[in-house]
Amino acid sequence: MTDQYPTLLQCAVPATALKVLLWLAYRSTDFEVHRNWLAITHSLPVKEWYYEKTSEWTLDYPPFFAYFEWLLSQAAHFADLGMLEVKNLNYDSWQTVHFQRATVIVTELVLVYALYLFVKSSPPGSKKQAHAAALSILLSPGLLIIDHIHFQYNGFLYGILILSVVLARKPSGLLASGIMFAALLCLKHIYLYLAPAYFIYLLRAYCLGPRSIFTIRFVNCIKLGVSIAVVAGVAFGPFVYYNQIQQVFSRLFPFSRGLCHAYWAPNAWALYSFSDRVLIYAAPYLKLPVNAEAVNSVTRGLVGDTSFAVLPDISPRTTFVMTLAAQIPALVKLFLRPTWDNFVGTLTLCAYASFLFGWHVHEKAILLVIVPFSLLALKDRRHLGAFRPLAVSGHVSLFPLLFTAMEFPVKVVYTVVWLAVFLLAFDRLAPPSEKPRVFLLDRFSLLYIAVAIPLLVYCSLVHQLVFGAKYEFLPLMFISSYSAIGVVGSWVGFLVVFFTS
Amino acid sequence: MGPSPPTAHRSRKKRKPEHSTSNGAVIFDSSKIEKPAFPLVAFFWPAKGTNTSQWIILPLILMLIFLFRWCTGMWPYSGFQKPPMHGDFEAQRHWMELTANLPVTHWYFHDLEWWGLDYPPLTAYHSWALGRIGWLIEPEWFRLYLSRGADDTDLKVFMRATVVLSESLVYIPAAVLCVRQLARLHNINAWEPSIALTALLMQPATILVDHGHFQYNTVMLGFTLATIASMLAGRPLWSCVFFVGALGFKQMALFYAPAVAAYLAGICISPRLDAPRLLGIAIVTLASFAVLFLPLLLGTAYDTYRNVPLPSDATLPPLLSSLPWTPSEKAWYYPYLTQLAQAFHRIFPFSRGLFEDKVANLWCAIHTSGLHKLHNYDSALLSRAALGLTLASITPPCALLFFRPRKAMIPYAFAATAWGFFLCSYQVHEKNVLLPLLPMTLLLATDGGIKAATRAWVGFANLLACWTLFPLLVKDQLRIPYFVLTGLWAWLMALPPVSIGAYTVSGEEGGLSVVSKVLHLGVYATMVAWHVVEAWVPPPNGKPDLWVVANVCFGAAGFGLCYLWCLWRLVEESGLLSGKGPAKRREEVSKKKQ
Repeated sequence: MTDQYPTLLQCAVPATALKVLLWLAYRSTDFEVHRNWLAITHSLPVKEWYYEKTSEWTLDYPPFFAYFEWLLSQAAHFADLGMLEVKNLNYDSWQTVHFQRATVIVTELVLVYALYLFVKSSPPGSKKQAHAAALSILLSPGLLIIDHIHFQYNGFLYGILILSVVLARKPSGLLASGIMFAALLCLKHIYLYLAPAYFIYLLRAYCLGPRSIFTIRFVNCIKLGVSIAVVAGVAFGPFVYYNQIQQVFSRLFPFSRGLCHAYWAPNAWALYSFSDRVLIYAAPYLKLPVNAEAVNSVTRGLVGDTSFAVLPDISPRTTFVMTLAAQIPALVKLFLRPTWDNFVGTLTLCAYASFLFGWHVHEKAILLVIVPFSLLALKDRRHLGAFRPLAVSGHVSLFPLLFTAMEFPVKVVYTVVWLAVFLLAFDRLAPPSEKPRVFLLDRFSLLYIAVAIPLLVYCSLVHQLVFGAKYEFLPLMFISSYSAIGVVGSWVGFLVVFFTS
Repeated sequence: MGPSPPTAHRSRKKRKPEHSTSNGAVIFDSSKIEKPAFPLVAFFWPAKGTNTSQWIILPLILMLIFLFRWCTGMWPYSGFQKPPMHGDFEAQRHWMELTANLPVTHWYFHDLEWWGLDYPPLTAYHSWALGRIGWLIEPEWFRLYLSRGADDTDLKVFMRATVVLSESLVYIPAAVLCVRQLARLHNINAWEPSIALTALLMQPATILVDHGHFQYNTVMLGFTLATIASMLAGRPLWSCVFFVGALGFKQMALFYAPAVAAYLAGICISPRLDAPRLLGIAIVTLASFAVLFLPLLLGTAYDTYRNVPLPSDATLPPLLSSLPWTPSEKAWYYPYLTQLAQAFHRIFPFSRGLFEDKVANLWCAIHTSGLHKLHNYDSALLSRAALGLTLASITPPCALLFFRPRKAMIPYAFAATAWGFFLCSYQVHEKNVLLPLLPMTLLLATDGGIKAATRAWVGFANLLACWTLFPLLVKDQLRIPYFVLTGLWAWLMALPPVSIGAYTVSGEEGGLSVVSKVLHLGVYATMVAWHVVEAWVPPPNGKPDLWVVANVCFGAAGFGLCYLWCLWRLVEESGLLSGKGPAKRREEVSKKKQ
């Protein structure tokens, strides 16, 4: 077996060089959020972590992430003591910036290692494909934009997710995979969206007999149960001890937020809001009642509490029910045929469901869909057909995260390079599928990709020239609606592929 | 090989597959499996052997090198928030300010003390065009007098974008063409030139100076590349036009002038005297210079017509009084003569010193190392000494090129001449090291150019040059981009300090000789040691510049080696020693093999 070139490490080197050059780029308030957490965990006793509120960016990640910040703060000690003071709001000495940026790059090594294991564990016949998929995740524009410009630690977190997914490939790794995922949940609770797939897969493949679901493997059940309890105990134990568990959970799940995030994530609710917006103009003709108060709120697209003018309002309960309803068919299939491919497919569909129908979804959560899907995208040409529109829409939907002039060319050019390289490479590498493809879908996705170009030109240039600062919600709404069509389209495409293969 | 224009349309011969990998990008490991010879090749591996179109590969290369350039631009520039004078960024911005605001006759007369315009007219026109565009976007950036030292973040974006734009219009197309011409000349397959092109465009010194420190060198270098490309394509008249463009943008292109002249003169006398060509070259060159100055003169005509007086503080250029006759102020040609004389006076300030600041050339090394304090000498004597030494150093390469004007010798001759100028002439800046580096880096696109030996020498020159730029870059707060870009390039090319890939190849397999290996590794070790010392050991009391001086002296010695190597390869390539050039010998060898 010859090696694949360029290797993962070879790609990591220039990528790292570019990321270091981006240290001085625009950074969002998330930078200050994480600096504040460094300060909180470093200078306060554990029992004050979830009560501290000097900064508006209170600690709202689960305890493992707080421990992680505490670990980083031990190193931050040597860089600049100023960043570790809770009162030093918006502190950004160059040492602080360099240090925090560097931690993102260093912790991303977890992702490199996980991808290396992924390629290593893939069957010999599909090594080439696995290698290409691994490179696409490593060099993902999503991670570049969110982690290395906007500022977050997703590379590290997705590294752990992939590690857990790869471990689940062999029966002997299932327990470790479960533990790894439990730890991931205690790092960032957004991965709860993927938990149903893990629950069903571990239940069926680890806790129940391979032949019949009525033989229960009690030893495995106990091993898994105890391990997860230990992980949860380490994470939440101290807070249970201090009797703060309610406070911790109120920080983790702030249900007071609105249906849509400030900028609409490209999901079903974006399309819903868009339709509502259109219906405001159509309502007089259709003789529908219009909620006058809501008219302003929707147009601005910036309010936490979205209320609708024509269409009925959505409650958190509705979104929860819809999310679960969208997940159940895939879970049933996984329960009946618990293969690794089905497991990854179900992970992807769970992520899709929660992204599309969830409450207050961030646009960044699209990575939750893209990353597991990338692992499957090269299975055959039908999978690739469903992946393509997602690759375009998912990354385009991240563009509004960066709005400064200096970063504009970076996000666009990097994404275009990535799309060109990987869509071409995937196209060459994806094996033909056994089942016939839906011809129309391919045409749709080509058209869809082509539309991205005029859309971006309009949103980044033409709109400003024509309208100036007026109607600034328009480009955002177009991008999010455009992306929503792509995400929904690829979801439908993948549903078809998943349930017919 | 000679002055035969039809070669421009010669179709590339199909090479045999085993031959097509002979340029050094591919090596075989112990089990005879193909492997990329160095990391940069690995990135082109997926395109190898497939018929991936250049229309895909080239845009991808260009977009990637753009990303590195643009992200370097996010770091500070020279003179960022450093009153009173700021730096090169302010100089360039100020030129836009003055050309966009003032009548043409004032351009070369305007306030010399605040970054007076002292570059040739093409730079002035370039500044004018950019200043006009900038004015449309935000007039505050270029208000006369009021905008001095402006450091708005959007202004930085605009200025960085103008560098990228100018480079994309001149340097990048010229580099693509030049690499293609070299590949055609040396009969290299379609795949490997892309690797050489990427290496050329990722040259750390160029990115750091233009996109970090802030200058527009790539425009001048781009015209130079176009000159070389035209020579290789057998179009000497175009090369005259482009070279006048290079000179007209930055007078430092004079470093190349002797080599250009030698080659152009050489192809007029050998293999036989070609008087029409000589005449053509002379006419086109003169015409290009006329076109270069035409806008300035037209502007003068317009200002004369409008009766715009010269600035009140203008002193007439001394050149005017040293003319053999005394021109009458009433004569119709007087304003034009004044403008031309003033432009020359600004462009060639003979009154300045032998060298500026700390530069790794001979004079600065001798002076600062304490061998000889040169300010004890009369400046006229020093100028004459510099002139003599420069002539001595550039005569061998130029004479060789003149008597044997072979295309394959062009990069070596350009590099050797430019090294000679850089090391021995006066009025040299540390940034001028980009001039010899460019033709030397072009060697990567020649036959065997990415084999270990040439790659090691090209890399040696590039990394040493970056190292001598380090003190300048530290002043600009570009320490991190310096380490990132030079480290990345060294890694891509498998060079020290990050890899010794190029030094593990034995002499017989296209590697360096033992002597060169020892020399190179010694220099690399010294550079690393210098960085360690510079970072952690404060210089002794009373000698605050000691580390910089060490850098300069050592750099000058290393550049001397580069000069000698280029000269030696030039002699080899000319076939002076064996009666046949290596190109011919190579052909014979490959014939024997068949």
